Amino acid sequence: MFLTYKYQFTKWLPLVALLSLSSCNDLLDLQPRQSISSSTALSTPEGIDAALNGIYDRLQSPRLYGRDLIAIPEALSDNGRATNKSGRLNAEYLNQVGAHFANWQVAYYAINQANLVLEALPNITDQATRDRYEGEAKFLRALLYFDLMRTYAYDPGVEVAEYNRGGVPLLVTGVLTPDQIQFPARASVADVYKQIYEDLTVASAKLTNTRGQFYANKGAALALFSRVALYNKDYANSVKYATEALAAGPARFLDRDSYLGGWRANRHPESFFEVTYTTPENIGVNESLQTTFTTLVALGDRTRTGGFGDLVPSASLLAALDAEKGTNNQVLDIRRQLYELGTTGRGTAEIESTKFFGKNGAVNLDNVPVIRASEMYLNRAEANYFLGKEEEALADVNAIRTRAGLPARTALAGTDLLNEILRQRRIELAFEGHRWFDLKRRGVDIIKTPTTVPYIDFRVLAQIPVREITNNPNLRQNFGY
Amino acid sequence: MRKLLSGFWLLCVLTLPALAQDRTVIGKVTSSDDGTPLPGVTVQVKGTTRGTSTDSEGNYRINAADNARLVFSFIGFNAQEVAIGGRSTVNVTLQSNTTELSEVVVTGYGGTLSKREITGSISKIKGSDIENMPIQSFDRALQGRAAGVQISSANGIPGGAVQVRIRGVGSIAAGTDPLYIVDGVQLNSNRTSSFTSTNPLSFLNPNDIESIEVLKDAAAASIYGSQAANGVVLVTTKKGKAGRTQFNLNTYYAFVEPVKYLDVLNTQQWLQMRTEAVFNQTAATNPAYTVEQARRAVLSSVRLSPELSESEIAALPTYDWQKVGIRSGRGQNYEFSMNGGSDKTTFFISAAYNDQDASLRNVDFKRGTSTINLTHKINNRITLDQKLNLSTITQRGQFGSPNGGTFLGAAAFAGPLIIPVNPIYNPDGSYYGTPATGGLAGILNQNPLMVTELNDIRASTNSAVGNLSLTYRITDNLTLKPFVGMDYRMTRGRYYSDPRTADGINVRGRVQNQFDEITNFISNITLNYNKTFNSVHNVGFLAGAEYRSDVREGISIQAENLPTPDFRYANSAANPIATGGFWTGFRKDALFANLKYEFGGRYVLNLIGRYDGSSRFGRENRYGFFPAAAASWLISEESFLKGSPVVNTLKLRASYGSTGNDQIGNFPSLGLFEGGFGYNNQAGMAPTQLSNPNLKWEQNITTNLGLDFGFFNNRITGAVDVFERRSKDLLLFKPVPFVNGFSEVAQNVGEVKNRGIEFEITTTNFDRGGFKWSTSFNYTFVKSNVTKLFDGITPLATPDSLVALPGNTSVIIGYPLGTIFTSRYAGVNPATGRGMWYDANGNITYAPRNPADFKVMGSNIPTTFGGLTNSFSYAGFDLNVLFQYEFGRKEFNSQGSFMSENGGRLFNTLSEVYNRRWQKPGDITDIPRPYNGNAEIRGSSNLTGTRTLEDASYIRLKQIDFGYNIPAAFAKRVRVNRARLYAQAVNLITWSKWTGYDAEFLNLGAGNSGVVPIARTYTVGLQLGF
Repeated sequence: MFLTYKYQFTKWLPLVALLSLSSCNDLLDLQPRQSISSSTALSTPEGIDAALNGIYDRLQSPRLYGRDLIAIPEALSDNGRATNKSGRLNAEYLNQVGAHFANWQVAYYAINQANLVLEALPNITDQATRDRYEGEAKFLRALLYFDLMRTYAYDPGVEVAEYNRGGVPLLVTGVLTPDQIQFPARASVADVYKQIYEDLTVASAKLTNTRGQFYANKGAALALFSRVALYNKDYANSVKYATEALAAGPARFLDRDSYLGGWRANRHPESFFEVTYTTPENIGVNESLQTTFTTLVALGDRTRTGGFGDLVPSASLLAALDAEKGTNNQVLDIRRQLYELGTTGRGTAEIESTKFFGKNGAVNLDNVPVIRASEMYLNRAEANYFLGKEEEALADVNAIRTRAGLPARTALAGTDLLNEILRQRRIELAFEGHRWFDLKRRGVDIIKTPTTVPYIDFRVLAQIPVREITNNPNLRQNFGY
Repeated sequence: MRKLLSGFWLLCVLTLPALAQDRTVIGKVTSSDDGTPLPGVTVQVKGTTRGTSTDSEGNYRINAADNARLVFSFIGFNAQEVAIGGRSTVNVTLQSNTTELSEVVVTGYGGTLSKREITGSISKIKGSDIENMPIQSFDRALQGRAAGVQISSANGIPGGAVQVRIRGVGSIAAGTDPLYIVDGVQLNSNRTSSFTSTNPLSFLNPNDIESIEVLKDAAAASIYGSQAANGVVLVTTKKGKAGRTQFNLNTYYAFVEPVKYLDVLNTQQWLQMRTEAVFNQTAATNPAYTVEQARRAVLSSVRLSPELSESEIAALPTYDWQKVGIRSGRGQNYEFSMNGGSDKTTFFISAAYNDQDASLRNVDFKRGTSTINLTHKINNRITLDQKLNLSTITQRGQFGSPNGGTFLGAAAFAGPLIIPVNPIYNPDGSYYGTPATGGLAGILNQNPLMVTELNDIRASTNSAVGNLSLTYRITDNLTLKPFVGMDYRMTRGRYYSDPRTADGINVRGRVQNQFDEITNFISNITLNYNKTFNSVHNVGFLAGAEYRSDVREGISIQAENLPTPDFRYANSAANPIATGGFWTGFRKDALFANLKYEFGGRYVLNLIGRYDGSSRFGRENRYGFFPAAAASWLISEESFLKGSPVVNTLKLRASYGSTGNDQIGNFPSLGLFEGGFGYNNQAGMAPTQLSNPNLKWEQNITTNLGLDFGFFNNRITGAVDVFERRSKDLLLFKPVPFVNGFSEVAQNVGEVKNRGIEFEITTTNFDRGGFKWSTSFNYTFVKSNVTKLFDGITPLATPDSLVALPGNTSVIIGYPLGTIFTSRYAGVNPATGRGMWYDANGNITYAPRNPADFKVMGSNIPTTFGGLTNSFSYAGFDLNVLFQYEFGRKEFNSQGSFMSENGGRLFNTLSEVYNRRWQKPGDITDIPRPYNGNAEIRGSSNLTGTRTLEDASYIRLKQIDFGYNIPAAFAKRVRVNRARLYAQAVNLITWSKWTGYDAEFLNLGAGNSGVVPIARTYTVGLQLGF
């Protein structure tokens, strides 16, 4: 009888086994439907186009041009004063240890994406498209590396020898699988600059201006080149590329009558390159540039409170703006009109910057100019000064002055001329993310309240993320951290 | 087989003539519990093979000799032997058998075992123990009732999220939830609502539950293989009983009230404190600054005239914003159920409506449920079982985020923090501080009352969980059971931001909608064999195959700009802002088996194994095998103990085995590019995940040693279990330097050990004269220890070179999971009022370095927990009192941190912090002087480190349940079988050092900030059976 049972059981066993095992591996091979395999993602032109957009998308991050690269240089330097209305940027204003830029992660993600796009270019047969993709990817890679260099490394020529630990890791190949992971050391400052020069050389040659200022273009590549050369104390090239950029467009140097209007247009006419934001990409009430800089939502309307207004112009910046007065004691500088009294909605009313003011039609939604035409005049003035061409330098600084409603200066020379160039640079580019870098690249102390940061202080460089140091034995942290 | 059947019939035919000479005895068998008829009782003529069983009305009919004895036996009752003594009617009342060993426990795949046969570690909670608790999901009711099972409510929202941890936490990065199975259907326990705090188990009316079994060790759980590592919770719903149709009406009414209000500053105190803070900061760099200047600045910062005199300030009113949001509520519950049937078909049908408020304005829960459980015997061999549970839930959620957070307009967060200078209403009765008028003064500038009244935040969840199975008894010993089940859940949420509120004003109103759907299909087939040979060898065998597919899909929309506040749906919105759609899923298939051998009713050996595959695992590791072995020895049945007056039960259990954790995400092994990286309205994509074809399940190796005992006529019963749960191959995201474009790569490398002891004891303290008092106590100690992370981690720059998971100092080798690693607060410098900390060498510092000066300061996972129940009954009255406790957990009081700023920013502060603040040199206190911005020059924030770390241990008088059963005689007169009046109090008193609202909450990212605290609830109810 026992055998009978056994027979019964063995009769069922194959059925049970069949039900399950016949299906097995195919059945369990489930693919996601809202993402695609990285092994084939970049095999088509559409894929590469989407991957290129993915690099621009990274620039929108609050850690890059969404906020930090514009606001933190003002907070760390003598241009900004934190109001502590939300508490944000207070630590940066106080130059607390570690309160600094944090663009490392996003920038390197974007660099990997650029490297992957560049490696996939052979999949594109059309030469013009391939050139454009190459130019855009290289412009973006140059911009990303340049921003990493000026935040994490000493600028060429002003290294503090005892503290100097070189540039940043230089990766020019893409990573998609675990076996491609690299543990690079920091490249030398010169090597990273060499790579940036190479990328910008290709980009400025291969790009055109057809896609406008929201994308990498020829003028933007030349303009960035002028800035990079200025930081590199390569003054001849800075002058050369500033001139070429102004000739190339798409940016144009605004005149006095249209200057303020430029700041109210959703697309700044002075922009060579601007990071654009669509409505759903609004960074919102916590970290957008509008909320960071102002409590206002409409010019002159102090009854409605929008953002926090965490960072406002320092007394010394306002003094610089107010320095030159007319016969009726009125402030001459029209740029002063980009600052006005905010609301009491978050506490004491402060004079606030309105350069970012929901220009795209919604509160907290602003395109962010990365390089403006005015900067080319200032780059060229400074570079010419150091080349000993003071006359050319004065002409450019006067272009900025007269445009701002100030009288042209004559017979300005030597240190006075340099100081005027730097003063105009400070005022013109205030609240646009330049001041900290302009002080740092010249190796000068940052004189500010509440505490001055001497140039030899380790806080001049940002802290490389601790996680990055612990996971990469070849990488050295900046001194002091 | 046919031979066997014909043999059986032959036997019956042959015995028939012999019976004809006997007397026919009839009778009825009832239960001693409630006098109800017992169907299915075996009635046997002693010494013969003659027997029958009672019908659905408890009646039997049997032929027996006049002098014969009848033996009545039924599972769960003491067998009884009665002499016929010439009677023709023998009615019997069976005593229910409450001894440990005969209690029936449900095990995996529809099996049941008596406790005698159990080799693993299983906790059972009867439905009746948690009956009528004013809770919306049964998991909350388990709190304090089962050893080894630790329950934490995420918040006090009815039907809100709950965390269940069985025997500690055995994973770092993968899921830690147990597998929930309701009537054989493995549930998808994802939380699906974006706008309300939901619980996937709240679809089930807790009063429909017959029993809950928690499978804790590998022996009990490994039949569920790669899903069983965190334990398994089996829920069995009520079934019909054959017999007269019984109706049950049940209703209760609940009063919900906040457990606590915090004591915060009035207007005058606030102005004083803030003035000190502003003065202290400015005077630090500007010696000429005066207190008067600071006072003027403070007054104007909150829109008061700087010219106010002392007396005018003293006359300013104070507004209590806390009570605006946190307040009392109501609840109600109505249930109707009926059960009954014949010996062929039985049914249980119930319908219920439950409605309960949170202790926060406009946050509530409404649910309708309907259950149908049917059993039908198609013939002697084939039985059909069908269960279906339908439910619809509507919840209103809190502002901001479902589980709390630091949202400006959220009453639970902002209420105690809004500056008390702000009125709630304008003199004309309209809301004060609308965005159009500049908002409230202070950082918390939204009027939470207006926000909650104008916005509409809600989610509806409809679910259907059901199954159908056939039990085919091929022979008396062999059963085949095909089973299909489904778990379907649809969630529809909406979040409407009114254009008059701060979030809506600049976009003219915003509508967000969510639609989320889970379709989880399960089918299996099991074959069950059981036979006793030579009356001492019992062999049982279960084998099965299973397939499960689980798909989750959803869409979401966001639109802005509505014509007027009366337009509240996206159709009227001018700006479509965002749309989303997603799809995810997994599939599993498996073979499993369990072989049981029992010898002489004393020795049991169990071998269990499951071969389990999942689409979640990498291509190279699709299938895993999860075996377990367990044995038990019933010592009290050995000759040397049998019949002992002291030791009634003594059983030793041991088990060892392996289970898996597959909660590693649905596609963790694939290299992926994802969309959503668009620019300038053009689609974009970016790489988001490195590929890893070797990725697999996490594995748990569990060892369990247990002892079940019963002494003094089983007046003292209980169990002790010691266990070790070694969780290995833990999924860890090994950091990759960011320079590679990725942050991490997933690997199976980590290891965590949980060791613990569980103790359960139930004693009958007094049982005489109808008065009965019994006590149940359970205690669990479990502690984890991280034993392995991946190689090559650079130790932290601390004196003892701790090795922590990079970027996550809550995981440190040699310490428990949830480790708190921070700087130690040293109090206040009496000379200056500055906050101080200890550095690595124990010296005072004003700016502790991370991590050099950091130390391990505890863990946020409790080590010790349990409960104590005392039950009393006398003459129809019954009283149950449950205390529940939890020790060893530390948490940062993040809301308390805001409330301890003492004027550092524009928030209100706790009175206690204000009163003890440092004011003048020589003051000895632990509260620094008020300081605007909270950080003194070259100092860390005053809230740094352990300053806000608190002990979250607590003992709670969890439940008092008092009931009165109206005497049967009286009940009969009003034509009911059973009438019970009851009253309950839940969360009545809590003893804790925690200074916030309540120590029970889950840190879901924002700590306890804005978490709706649990509520105290009182209910009164009436239950009628007829």
